[in-house]
Amino acid sequence: MQQLLSQLGIDWRLLIAQAVNFFVLLVVLLLYVYQPLLKLMRERGQRIEDGVMKADEADRRLLEIEEIGKEKIKAAEHEALGVIKKAEADGKTLEARLLAEARQKEEAALKNTEALLRAREEESRRALEKEAASFVRRAIAKTVDLAPETIDNALIAKAVEEAKQTA
Amino acid sequence: MLSISLRAEPIFSIGSFPVTNALFMSFLVLCVLIVIGFILRRRLTTIPGPGQNVAEMVVEGSLGIMDSVLNDRRRSEQYFPLVFTVFIFILFSNWLGLLPGVGSFVVGSGASSVPLLRSPASDLNFTLALALIAITFVNIASAAALGVRHRLSTFFNFHGPIEFFVGILEIVSEFAKIISLSFRLFGNVFAGEVLLAIMAFLVPYVIPLPFIFLEIFVGFIQALIFAMLTTVFVGMALAGHGE
Repeated sequence: MQQLLSQLGIDWRLLIAQAVNFFVLLVVLLLYVYQPLLKLMRERGQRIEDGVMKADEADRRLLEIEEIGKEKIKAAEHEALGVIKKAEADGKTLEARLLAEARQKEEAALKNTEALLRAREEESRRALEKEAASFVRRAIAKTVDLAPETIDNALIAKAVEEAKQTA
Repeated sequence: MLSISLRAEPIFSIGSFPVTNALFMSFLVLCVLIVIGFILRRRLTTIPGPGQNVAEMVVEGSLGIMDSVLNDRRRSEQYFPLVFTVFIFILFSNWLGLLPGVGSFVVGSGASSVPLLRSPASDLNFTLALALIAITFVNIASAAALGVRHRLSTFFNFHGPIEFFVGILEIVSEFAKIISLSFRLFGNVFAGEVLLAIMAFLVPYVIPLPFIFLEIFVGFIQALIFAMLTTVFVGMALAGHGE
């Protein structure tokens, strides 16, 4: 066995030296390359993953906001339609009320005008009667001066006329 | 005259410790990799440059291959340092061993002259050390993940004669893994060295070039096989003997 190992060149001291070489390399690479590099790659991967997640979240929220916007627009349209309908109804009510008030005012004005006209007519008639009476008095006065029998005839005619009216 | 030695040749000694050309080359590979590591470390940024991009691509690719075996990214990252260090150490050892000058610079003179540098994987001490480390790591990883009792029960099972025999086979298989890992790498790289040496000796110009390309490919494949087998052994050990 010893001879075989010797022929193959196996020497435990060289074996240990090669193992030490390897362990030195392993420790140096582990501390200065593998750990920082893997950490960096892991962090970058995490960042990318976070970025993708955030982008997905942003997309989802954008869709939600678009949906909410659509719903709000729909609600606003619905509300606006309601407001328009209510305004139309209110307008019609107001129109009817205003029309009724206008009619009432018109009737009142008409009545006032009629009363005024009647009053004026009455006044005119009275003035006319007064004027006519005055005219008649003066005419009588003049006639009496000229022919008393005429006035007698007139008085008789008037008395007959009044008697007819009262009868 | 061309001479081929199965053993790595001592180039100098530190006390009674013989420093072989393979060990010296292994140390040079270690230095090169540490320098590359430090350069990479200094240039690590959140927005990667070309070098970091390549490093990240290699790391991500290696983790992907490990994922296909271990089916768990967390575990892949846990065992990545050892597996990848094995891969990169063997790869650079093989490739740097093909550089011009390796094998042609000699120390000593005349018949006692030996190459200053030799591909580390063409020395069994290197491959055996890596195989021992890999298999020891596999057992430690299994014991850490499943428990020491569970791991020991793989080898020492007294529930019945069949289980006991299976346990013995498991012990034998652990040694077989060490031998297969180390001798496969050693055999391939040493054979490549011999092939290149013979071709360069017979026809020094042009003809060795395709073989050098072949050895570049073999160097990569052998490093990959060693690392992949280590990963597979880790996966098997983590699965437990009941699965």
